[in-house]
Amino acid sequence: MPDMSRADYGHDRWIGTQRPESRAGAEERPRQAGLPAEFTVAVIVERDDNGEFLIRELQRQRVAVRHIWPKPAQIPLQYDAIFCLLSDDLPQRIPWVPGEPSSALILVDDGKAPLNLKLVHNCAAHGMLHYPATARMIQSVLMMAREHFQYERRLRGRIDKLDENLRTMRLVERAKALLIRLKNLSEEEAYNFLRKQAMEKRVTIGAVAAAVIDSHELLS
Amino acid sequence: MGALNRNQRTSAPWRVGVLFSKTGFMSVIEETQLRGTLIAIDEINDRGGVNGRPIEPIVYDPGSEIRSYGQYAKRLMVEDGVSTIFGCYTSASRKAVLPVVERLDGLLWYPTLYEGFEFSPNVIYTGATPNQNSVQLCKALMSQFGNRFFFVGSDYVYPRESNRVMRELVRNNGGTVVGERYLRLEADRSEFVPLVREIKQAQPDVIFSTVVGESTTFLYQAYHDLGLNPKTVPIASLTTTEAEIRAMGYDVGEGHYTAASYFQGIETARNSSFVSHYQKRYGDDEPTNMCLEASYFQVNLFARTLEETNSLDTRQLRTFVMGAEFEAPQGSVSINPVWGHADVWTRIGRANRQGQFDIVFQSQASVKADPYLIGYGRCLENC
Repeated sequence: MPDMSRADYGHDRWIGTQRPESRAGAEERPRQAGLPAEFTVAVIVERDDNGEFLIRELQRQRVAVRHIWPKPAQIPLQYDAIFCLLSDDLPQRIPWVPGEPSSALILVDDGKAPLNLKLVHNCAAHGMLHYPATARMIQSVLMMAREHFQYERRLRGRIDKLDENLRTMRLVERAKALLIRLKNLSEEEAYNFLRKQAMEKRVTIGAVAAAVIDSHELLS
Repeated sequence: MGALNRNQRTSAPWRVGVLFSKTGFMSVIEETQLRGTLIAIDEINDRGGVNGRPIEPIVYDPGSEIRSYGQYAKRLMVEDGVSTIFGCYTSASRKAVLPVVERLDGLLWYPTLYEGFEFSPNVIYTGATPNQNSVQLCKALMSQFGNRFFFVGSDYVYPRESNRVMRELVRNNGGTVVGERYLRLEADRSEFVPLVREIKQAQPDVIFSTVVGESTTFLYQAYHDLGLNPKTVPIASLTTTEAEIRAMGYDVGEGHYTAASYFQGIETARNSSFVSHYQKRYGDDEPTNMCLEASYFQVNLFARTLEETNSLDTRQLRTFVMGAEFEAPQGSVSINPVWGHADVWTRIGRANRQGQFDIVFQSQASVKADPYLIGYGRCLENC
């Protein structure tokens, strides 16, 4: 992975480093529900009126905003969410492969080029913002992108877990069959035996099942 | 959409992606998969293409680097605008391509035997899974040589997972695993000598190998050099094909066993014409093998399906390929609609002095794919 140090970027800095409580409260909007304490957002757009508005609006969401421009060769990895101006070479600048994103990615369409849906597809992003944006659009696209990103991640985690469970279940089935045969237990008793052992030794039932199978092999 | 597709008049090529390593330690086998893919494409194009349009392969060489498979898959889909990809030998490379084809909705055609326990709506699997090779192999070895097994494999997903299945089979049927060793994928010659010494000491009845790539040669050569006898303690493998036997030397490979859906030695008219066609192009001494054959028949299945859909749309291709049949060099094969895996044949071969396999067991017909071993694998008597 290329070095992502701050020096790589022509211009980038944290904006609004003062804590929210030190700022005038009158125009504060409520912080987005469910945002973690330090939610970081990179904004990779030109700092024109639209860009300024986007940055200001995100600051009002009380997230830590960093503006990066001109666009870096590789999009940095360490942010929770990234707003990035859509350009033809964006897919090549995304460091992850589609399907394994490390941040929620929101495309920013400045409306200058004709809409290219294939390009949008290829970016595999979580949301899209069109200029001129309103405060409501910015708030909702950030929320939805974040939710989609996290939902995908939970689903991927669930699939990994399912795969693992499948393997464990095969082990448990075999250990159960061994116990039924060798210790003359009923199916229910065999299962309870495994579960009790797992609880007492504070390991997974799969680990107990594997131990039963292994030790049977050793002894036989 | 089908009717709409049929009205299009164009002779523009059907562009597809191809991802096999021509360089690096996996090139021994992947190069042959590349050839199998290209020879099928050429045959189809010589017949006039699919619905009057030729198939145009865009070929990248990931150089046996796992990460490159993911990166090239992205490049194929994003920059080259391709949605159908033929490629991958190792499970690790398949798993690198998987998130890309799943997110961008592409279709990977995977022509390699693997450990099973996977099902992606964006992959068509055309190699054998354990119920189509390990189960029969285990049965044959136990009846002929004995029940003490030593497992040796390359250190990555496939060997560990396929040994998990094999261990289950061996143990459930009264056998023992007397040793288990993994060497890194890039292992060199010197690492195999101590390994084979260790195997000798453990005195197994059978050495079960899932070593892949270049190091396959080193394992068999170390075995040969240390004077073990394949008549009493053979190496049995799921991955050693004619290509690896040629690389290690025919005398070194002689007498060892491999389970596969396809061997060059299958005596049918269909296979003879396939072999002679292949050798006319690549040379008389170039053997065919199971991975090459799967690469060849999956392109044909793809072309036949494309003829019906007249579209490279992943969903349409996938829908139409389910249940599709093809008269492959190994015999009649089809895509199992429950699993999106191919129903392929089970065969066991013993390598002879000519670098070919004599077939010592063959299934009656193609064996239904069961990648999660739901109906098989518990007991050898049932199969």
